[in-house]
Amino acid sequence: MVFILGVNFHAQKLVKKALESFYALGPQTSARILAKYCIHPRAKMGSLQPKTVTALTAELSTMTIENDARKIIQDNIRRLRDMGAYRGRRHAMGLPVRGQRTRNQIQTARKLNKIERKG
Amino acid sequence: MSASKCLRCLVRPSPTTLPVSVPQHVPKNIAPFSTTGAKAGQNPKPAPSVPKNPNALQPYRSGKKMTLSKFKKNKVIDRGKAPLPGERKAWRKRISLSNDNALPVPWLTQMRPGDMADSGNVAKVFSLPAGLQDQLRACEAFKPTQSWNMFRTPSVLVRNETVDVMGRMQQAAGENKTARLVLTGDKFTGKSLMLLQAMAHAYLNEWIVIHVPDAQELTTASTEYAPIPGTDPVQYMQPNYVLKLIQNFRKANEAVLSKTYTATAHPELPQNITVNTPLLNLCQTAKEPEGAWVVFRALWNELMAKNVPRPPILFTLDGLAHIMKMSDYRSPSFELIHSHDLAFVRHFTELLAGNTSFPGGGAVIAATSRSNAPRVPSMELVLAQREAEQAPRGAAEVPQPDPFFRGYDKRVESVLRSVDVVRVNGASKPEARSLMEYWAASGLLRDTVDEKLVTEKWALGGNGVLGEMERAALMTMRI
Repeated sequence: MVFILGVNFHAQKLVKKALESFYALGPQTSARILAKYCIHPRAKMGSLQPKTVTALTAELSTMTIENDARKIIQDNIRRLRDMGAYRGRRHAMGLPVRGQRTRNQIQTARKLNKIERKG
Repeated sequence: MSASKCLRCLVRPSPTTLPVSVPQHVPKNIAPFSTTGAKAGQNPKPAPSVPKNPNALQPYRSGKKMTLSKFKKNKVIDRGKAPLPGERKAWRKRISLSNDNALPVPWLTQMRPGDMADSGNVAKVFSLPAGLQDQLRACEAFKPTQSWNMFRTPSVLVRNETVDVMGRMQQAAGENKTARLVLTGDKFTGKSLMLLQAMAHAYLNEWIVIHVPDAQELTTASTEYAPIPGTDPVQYMQPNYVLKLIQNFRKANEAVLSKTYTATAHPELPQNITVNTPLLNLCQTAKEPEGAWVVFRALWNELMAKNVPRPPILFTLDGLAHIMKMSDYRSPSFELIHSHDLAFVRHFTELLAGNTSFPGGGAVIAATSRSNAPRVPSMELVLAQREAEQAPRGAAEVPQPDPFFRGYDKRVESVLRSVDVVRVNGASKPEARSLMEYWAASGLLRDTVDEKLVTEKWALGGNGVLGEMERAALMTMRI
């Protein structure tokens, strides 16, 4: 078990996948982080040196990920809503924002379009 | 339509109808299972009546029920014990070198040190002695794709090219020089096997052998890497790979290494190695990936030490194309690392380019691969050029680079500029015949080996490509 940024990962988990499990950290960023610390793409969490694990935690703590990234999205939505924009209203109603029809198939909008957006 | 039983039979039962009647046999001929749904539908079986357990709880309510969970729970299907991690791969990569069902070949002789360099032995088959088999297995010279598991003992055919390569190795070792060879040729012609023969020759003549069984392990970003501090331009070490290599190297070269002694002391190692310690002890200090690179550097310096007696060294690598391109590793600034910036690969390429050489003579041999190889235009071009240059004067036109193509690599060209290219072609007919006689004597080729059969298989195998001949003669199901 390896701790990175307070999250516990199994020793058999790929480092790349572990990094990508954080919100707002995708394949591009994870590849760059791996290169920065000279970790090969197929490395598993168990093979990391303790020094590297600390460095990864330090690196991730300086980045805008997880709740910080969510906060930015929520602020953007809230701004739209507060200025009374159509997009803001549609977000608040949980409906599609970009002119899609609403007769059926709006599951994604129902799931995501909220003022306190989670995902 | 005639009656199935005549009236007379009803009166007086005949002996043929009594004990076995035809309709009784009909259901027995039907397979107990059905392969198609349609067939199963034609002949529906009554559902097997399961005796009801009186103790089992009866559903107290029938009809529509509320589903409490969102999804149906999947049935737990017992699939037996799953193989442990790594078990499947070990099974896939296993190498068995003998087959007890194959016949022992009475006239087969064991290989002796000088056998493969003697041109009188062309088109003869030799078996590998047991000790040599262990050494070759330790350095991973045998491949799972080669058909060692069909024969009683592993044996190799001496070919013209074999004698040529061994002759060059011998000559270089005699003159304290390093022979630099690249084996190339079509698919299945036996390039990797030629490497194995070179290694067998080296082991029998008490050389030190370093072998990289598959170059792609070094450059496909599948093993640990780290920059080496104090190098400019930055080079990278691969501690885990090097550790494995040292351990295999120690196992395979135990006898020679215990007779070769260090020239300098190595205080930087975890165990203090003094002057005149056997190299075997030096190799044994590599136990963890952390210190492996330091041990490898010390070992390399010892092997390359001048002014001390050193046996000839053979350094072989299979799959040359993989170390002649950009590797899949990335530098901290997210740029691809050239394979020649990996320190271990660089040792090999420096030798191949002729910038360094073994103090006691030896050979560097690389084999190209046709089955798993990336396209490297520079390598293909330079090898073709070298081959044309080595041909008798005017026999072949030296190919020129395409002026409109940008993908050439100067570093690759500089490494391969002066190597000797050995083309491994299909076997000649006498060689093919000798090999087929060996197959027949092992009981694997169930035919009379005559001119007709040899010519047939030789032609089927694309003019003597040994792998294809093996496919045509041994891998077909003819009973």
